[in-house]
Amino acid sequence: MADPTRPRPLYLRLAPLLLVLPLLLPKAIDNGYYVGLLNRILVYAILVASLDLVVGYIGDVSIGHAGLFAIGAYTVAVLTASPAMNSDSSIQTFHQLPFLVALVPAVLLTAFAGFLLGFPALRSSGPYLAVITIVYGLIIYTFINEQELITNGTKGITLTPLRLGDFRLGGQNYFYVVYPVLVLVMFVVHNVTHSFWGRAFEAIKYSGVAAESCGISRSYFKVAAFVLSAALAGLAGGFFAQLDSYVAPNTFAYNFSVEFLIALIFGGVRSVIGNLIGVALIVTLPDVFNRFADYRLMVYGTLLLLVLYFMPEGVVGIFRSLWRRVRPVDHTAELAALDRAAAQVDVLSGLRQGEGPPALELRAVEMRFGGLRAVQDLSMTIPRGAVRGLIGPNGSGKSTTVNVLTGLYTPTKGTLISFGEDLAGLKTWQRARRGIARTFQNLQLFADLTVLENVMVGLHPSFKATLFEVAFRLPRARREEREARVRAYALLSFVGLDRVAFERARNLSYGQARHLEIARALALAPRLLLLDEPAAGLTSGEIGEINVLVQRMKAAGVSLLLIEHHMDMVMAISDEVTVLDFGKKIAEGRPAMVQSDPVVVEAYLGKHPTSTAVPA
Amino acid sequence: MQTLQLLISGIAQGMIYALVAFGYNITFSTSKTLNFSLGNFLMIGGVIGFVLYMTRGNPFWLALAAVVAVGAVGGAILLKVAVEPSLRQRNAYGWILATLAVGIILRNAAEVFWSTDDFKFRSPLGDSPIRLFQAPLADGTLSAGLGVYPQELLIIAVSLAIVAGVEAFKRLTVFGKAVQAVSEDKDTASLMGIDQRFVILFSFMLSTAIACVGGVLVAPITLVSATMGTVLGVKAYSASIIGGLESGIGAVVGGLFLGISEALTARFVSTGYKDVPGFVVLILLLLFKPSGLFGRTAIRKV
Repeated sequence: MADPTRPRPLYLRLAPLLLVLPLLLPKAIDNGYYVGLLNRILVYAILVASLDLVVGYIGDVSIGHAGLFAIGAYTVAVLTASPAMNSDSSIQTFHQLPFLVALVPAVLLTAFAGFLLGFPALRSSGPYLAVITIVYGLIIYTFINEQELITNGTKGITLTPLRLGDFRLGGQNYFYVVYPVLVLVMFVVHNVTHSFWGRAFEAIKYSGVAAESCGISRSYFKVAAFVLSAALAGLAGGFFAQLDSYVAPNTFAYNFSVEFLIALIFGGVRSVIGNLIGVALIVTLPDVFNRFADYRLMVYGTLLLLVLYFMPEGVVGIFRSLWRRVRPVDHTAELAALDRAAAQVDVLSGLRQGEGPPALELRAVEMRFGGLRAVQDLSMTIPRGAVRGLIGPNGSGKSTTVNVLTGLYTPTKGTLISFGEDLAGLKTWQRARRGIARTFQNLQLFADLTVLENVMVGLHPSFKATLFEVAFRLPRARREEREARVRAYALLSFVGLDRVAFERARNLSYGQARHLEIARALALAPRLLLLDEPAAGLTSGEIGEINVLVQRMKAAGVSLLLIEHHMDMVMAISDEVTVLDFGKKIAEGRPAMVQSDPVVVEAYLGKHPTSTAVPA
Repeated sequence: MQTLQLLISGIAQGMIYALVAFGYNITFSTSKTLNFSLGNFLMIGGVIGFVLYMTRGNPFWLALAAVVAVGAVGGAILLKVAVEPSLRQRNAYGWILATLAVGIILRNAAEVFWSTDDFKFRSPLGDSPIRLFQAPLADGTLSAGLGVYPQELLIIAVSLAIVAGVEAFKRLTVFGKAVQAVSEDKDTASLMGIDQRFVILFSFMLSTAIACVGGVLVAPITLVSATMGTVLGVKAYSASIIGGLESGIGAVVGGLFLGISEALTARFVSTGYKDVPGFVVLILLLLFKPSGLFGRTAIRKV
C-alpha cells in the first residue's frame, strides 16, 4: 500500500521492474572474462555496501573490512573444501558442507567479529578507531596465514564449483547466484538506512549527545551498525570464496581494505547505487587502462584525491545534481498531502500531567570537576506542570545542572528524583525515554538530515517495529514511518517550520534552528522539558515567537525548566525562579521577589558602592 | 645472553617505531591530523638513501642530507596537495583518505620508477657485529658472547637524539613555544601573532624528514624495498596511539613496547605471530584508556 503523504510518479513505482533486465546480461555479453568481471563487481558491491554502513552512516573510518571479508570467505572455504580438490594440502579435517549451509556460520562468525570490533568503536573515534580497525584486520590476516592446519596457510584453499543438479553455477552462471543476492542486500540496506535505524545512525554521527537526548542508545546502535556491517561483509566473503573457487590469504591484506575505502568514496557514500558505481570503477579501471596496469595504484590514488576535492559526494553526487537539473525537486504535492494529514494531529494533547510526585526534585546535588565545584548543594523542586526559571551569571552552573539532569554528567553527590523515580544510574537515552527532553544552548542539530528528519529522530522512541520488519518493509514498519512523518510535520507546523520541512538542517537560519531544537525536543512528548537558553542570540521578534511557544507548552501542561538570560521572558513565564551564582543557589521564589532580592542584584551588577564610595 | 641480544634488537626496532610515531605526533599536535603516508615516506627515505649511497656510491653524509631535504620538501607538498584541501571539506575524516591516497601513490611510484625487489643496504658502520662479554672457552677460542650490530646502536642513538632534540626545541625556544601554543589552541595562538600556517607547514616538513631519516636508519637491518614502509608505518602508528598521540615520551614507550614484544614473541612463540601480542594490547588498551597511555582526556562540554 502506498503512503498517501508520499506521492510518487508512476514511472518511479514501476522502476523496480527494470531489475529483471540485468538477468539477460550474461547471455548478452557472452564472454567468460567480462561476465567474470561483472560477477566480481556484484560480490564486491556487497562488501562496499557493508563498509558504507560504518563509514557513511556511523561516520567511522574502518580500514579493516578486508579482515571481516576474509572471515566470511575462509569460513565458507574451510567448511566446504573437499580432499579431492586439495590433495596435497596441510588441512587436517574436511567438513565438506554444502555451500548454503556453510554460509550461515560464515555470516554469524563475521557478525560476531563485528560485535567485538564495536566495543572499541564506542570509546574511540577518528584516528584512534582507524588504527584499531587496521590492526584488527592484520590480526585476522596473521591467523589465516599461520593456522596452516585449518587454512592451508599461504597456499590457499580450492573450492568445488557450485552446481544445482546438473546445472553448473560456476563461471558465467555464477551471475544468477550473486545478482539476486546483491539485489536483496541492497533492498535491505536501503530500507534499514531509510528508517528510524538509519536516522539513529546519522544522529549518532553528528552528535552522540543529541542522539541520546532523543532516546537513542548510542552504544546499542553503534554496536548494531558494526554487527550489521560485519554480517554483510561476511556474506560478501562467502560469495567471494565461490567466485574464483579459490581463496588465499594475500587477497585480504591491508591494501584490500584501502582499495575498498577508495571505491566507497569514488562512488559516493550513503547510496547503494554509489556503492555499485564505485566498485565498478575500481574493478574495471585496470582493464580500461590495460597498458598502465602497473600504474594502477597511482591512478587510484590520484583519482581519490580528485574525488575528495572536486566531488565530495562521489560520482553518484554528480549524477544526482544532473538529475536535479533535469527534474527539479518539487515538494508541493507532498507538502499539501502532509498538510492535510497533519491537520488531524494535535501535538500538545496528552501532555497534561495528573496528580503525583513532583516533576523534578534535586536533593543536595554537587558536581565537581577536579577542584572546581560547578554546582554545589543544589536542592530544588519543580511541581508538575510548573515552570521554573533558572538564572545566574555566566559560569554559575546552569548548563552543568542541565547536563547533570540529563545524565551527561554523574553528580559527585546528591539525589535526582523525577516523577517519583530515582534517576541515579539511568543513561541519557533512558531519561529521554522517561520524558525528560532538552534543547541545547549550543545548537546540536543533525546537519545533513532534513528538518523533517531531525524531528523524526526525536520521535525515535515511538517506533516499535523490529529490525526484520524494517529490513523487509513489513506493514507495521511502514505504518509507523508514515505516522511519524505526519506527526513530525505537525510539530514543524507548531513551531512554524513546516514550509522548510525538506530543507537540510544546516541551511536553516539561526532563529529557525532554535525553533527546530524545540520541535525536536517536543517530539519526545516530554513530561519535563529543559530549555537551555532557547532565545540566546535571537532578534527581539524571534524572542517573541519563542516566548509564545513556551507559553503554549506551559498551557498544555508540560513541566518546564527554563534557563535564560532574557529577564523579561523568564520573569513573565516562570512560576518560580531559582538563582545560581558560582554553583550555589543564592535565591529562590516568585519572580517579583527574586528580582528585588539584593543578593541577586549584587550577583548580576556587583556591590553597590554606597558605604565605601568617596564623594566627588 | 641470547635474550639480552634479542632485547637490543627489539629496542633498535622499537626505536624506529618510536621515531616514526614521533613523526605522527608532531603533525597531530599542531594540526590535529595524522599523515597516514608516513610509512611510505620512510620507504622513500630508504630508497633514495639506497640509490645515492649504494647505487651511485656517494658518501653517506651526502645521501643522508639529500634524504632529509627530500623528506622536508615532500612533507610540504603533502600538506598542500592532500591535507589542506581536505580540511576545507565537510567530511571530518577526509584527511585520512587523502593521506592514504598519497601513500599509495608513493609506493606505486617507487615500484614503477625504481624496483619491486628487495635490496641489501650496507651499514655505514660496517655489518659485522661488535662482540661483547666473550668468555674464553676450553679450546682457547672465545665464546660468541653478545653480538651487537653497530647499526642497532646507531639507530638507538640517533632516534633518541632526534626525539630529545625536538622536545628540547619545543620547550626551550620561542619558536618551540609557538608550536606548543598552536597545538593548544590554534585561534588564540593566531591572535597572539603566531603564524599558525607556518607552524603547521614546519611540523609537516619536520615529520616527513624524520620519517625519511628513519628509512635510512632501518634499511641496513631490514632490506630496502617499495613495500618496506607499509607495515612499519602501521606499527609506528600503533606505537604512537599506545603512547597517546600528543606525547613524545608516549611515542618512545609505545615504540619500545612494540619492538620488544615483537622480538620476544618471534623468539619464544613463532615468527608468524610476532605482531599479534602488541596489536592485541593496543586494542585492549584503547578499550580502557581511549586516548592512550599518556594522552589527555577532555571533559565533554555541551
